[in-house]
Amino acid sequence: MQKFINDAIEFLPILLQGVKLTVLVTIGSLVLSTLLGLVWALMRVSGIKILDVSARVVVNFIRGIPIIVQLFYIYFVMPDFGVTLSALQASIIGLGIAYSAYQAENFRAGIEAIEPGQIEAAQSIGMGWWMVMRRVVLPQAVRIVLPPYGNVMIMMLKDSSQASTITVAELALQGKLIASSTFKNTSVFTLVAILYLCMSLPLMYLVSRLERRAAQGRK
Amino acid sequence: MIELQDIHKSFGTNHVIRGFSAQIGKGEIVTIIGPSGSGKSTVLRCINGLEKHDSGTILVEGVPVDRTKRSIVDIRTKVSMVFQRFNLFPHRTALENVIEGPIFVKRENVDAARKRGRDLLARVGLQDKETAYPGQLSGGQQQRVAIARALAMQPSAILFDEPTSALDPELVGEVLGVMKSLAGEGMTMVIVTHEIAFAREVANRALFIDQGVIVEEGPAREMLAQPKQARTQDFLRRVLHPM
Ligand SMILES: Nc1ncnc2c1ncn2[C@@H]1O[C@H](COP(=O)(O)OP(=O)(O)OP(=O)(O)O)[C@@H](O)[C@H]1O
Ligand SMILES: [Mg+2]
Repeated sequence: MQKFINDAIEFLPILLQGVKLTVLVTIGSLVLSTLLGLVWALMRVSGIKILDVSARVVVNFIRGIPIIVQLFYIYFVMPDFGVTLSALQASIIGLGIAYSAYQAENFRAGIEAIEPGQIEAAQSIGMGWWMVMRRVVLPQAVRIVLPPYGNVMIMMLKDSSQASTITVAELALQGKLIASSTFKNTSVFTLVAILYLCMSLPLMYLVSRLERRAAQGRK
Repeated sequence: MIELQDIHKSFGTNHVIRGFSAQIGKGEIVTIIGPSGSGKSTVLRCINGLEKHDSGTILVEGVPVDRTKRSIVDIRTKVSMVFQRFNLFPHRTALENVIEGPIFVKRENVDAARKRGRDLLARVGLQDKETAYPGQLSGGQQQRVAIARALAMQPSAILFDEPTSALDPELVGEVLGVMKSLAGEGMTMVIVTHEIAFAREVANRALFIDQGVIVEEGPAREMLAQPKQARTQDFLRRVLHPM
């Protein structure tokens, strides 16, 4: 135990560098996936065939390719087309796009849970499509969508480790680097796991609170 | 003020409205009665463009109803609608429901809209409920908020689609009472209802429709008491004496 504490004191500062990147990748890709997911979802429910179909194609395309391959594509292939990104930028964009497909499905389900009657009532007082969304549909959909959104956040936190495959020295990769140079596998990976838990457990707590609130709201 | 000329509407192969024509003058109160599935709701929904008619012309104060044109917003603010299932916005209070249209569609001054909204709630007997959410109100109260919401747009006409059908019997009276007072103030109203006694009392004119066509029309008082067509007689008998 004393040995573990000594290792912890020695490695934590380096691992916290990794934590910083993990948080950066997670938050960056969360924001991007939320915005893109909202765009896909709104296209799906726009009632305009061409938008609906395009969004459906894009979402299935994204869902059909492993995240790691999307990351490789953005980081290694895009430079051939003249788009060179840093590893960090590529990982945020790659994870953001990959997760936008899941966000879109979640958002769409939330939007479609709103009774059509309310939408008609909004239209009948002269609201246009966007105002119906902004004033009637989205404020209610948010409450429905929040618990699954929290789960996506947890998944994205963990999947940010995939950024390591394109050389982003986030927590998992930082751990691997230390481990392979010090051979203190047990200490290092235990620390890595603990650090992930420190981030994901509060999120899980948040999700369970959101779920409870959503269940109450439905009464 | 509302003119319908030879309206047709199909849902897929289901030809629901088959040549419907009517004229509704300013201040007139017209009731539409007919069996379930005869197309009553569809006619109302075509008038404010919630549904798109396939052929024929609908004019509201001379402007053709076309839900793809910007003029539809104008038409919808002139012709309000009250729904069977109230359709209030559950995440907003009674007052917020009422002032949503004036503030966000008509861009009225917020304080003025609030004041007018409170007056309207008072007018439907709900002055003490302005901060209540729809979920905390009875059906009759919700429908009265919905009427206040329709009135808040300062419409030239209001379409009612079975406004009391979703209510417990003891709550029907309070809603009909509000509608009656509107009628007394000269509001143009088109009312789809199964409340025959009420229709006879407040409506000027009655239309009986069956399978998407007008079978009989006439002054409400006479027609609902002594219909000429066998189909109307039959329908009224079933509505008035369900057993
Ligand atoms: N959105 C829709 N899609 C397909 N069919 C529809 C749609 N709306 C209405 N219909 C059909 O059109 C016909 C007329 O419906 P409508 O709602 O106008 O009747 P109604 O006279 O209002 O009946 P009720 O008294 O039951 O309300 C029915 O056969 C109905 O099934
Ligand atoms: Mg109907």
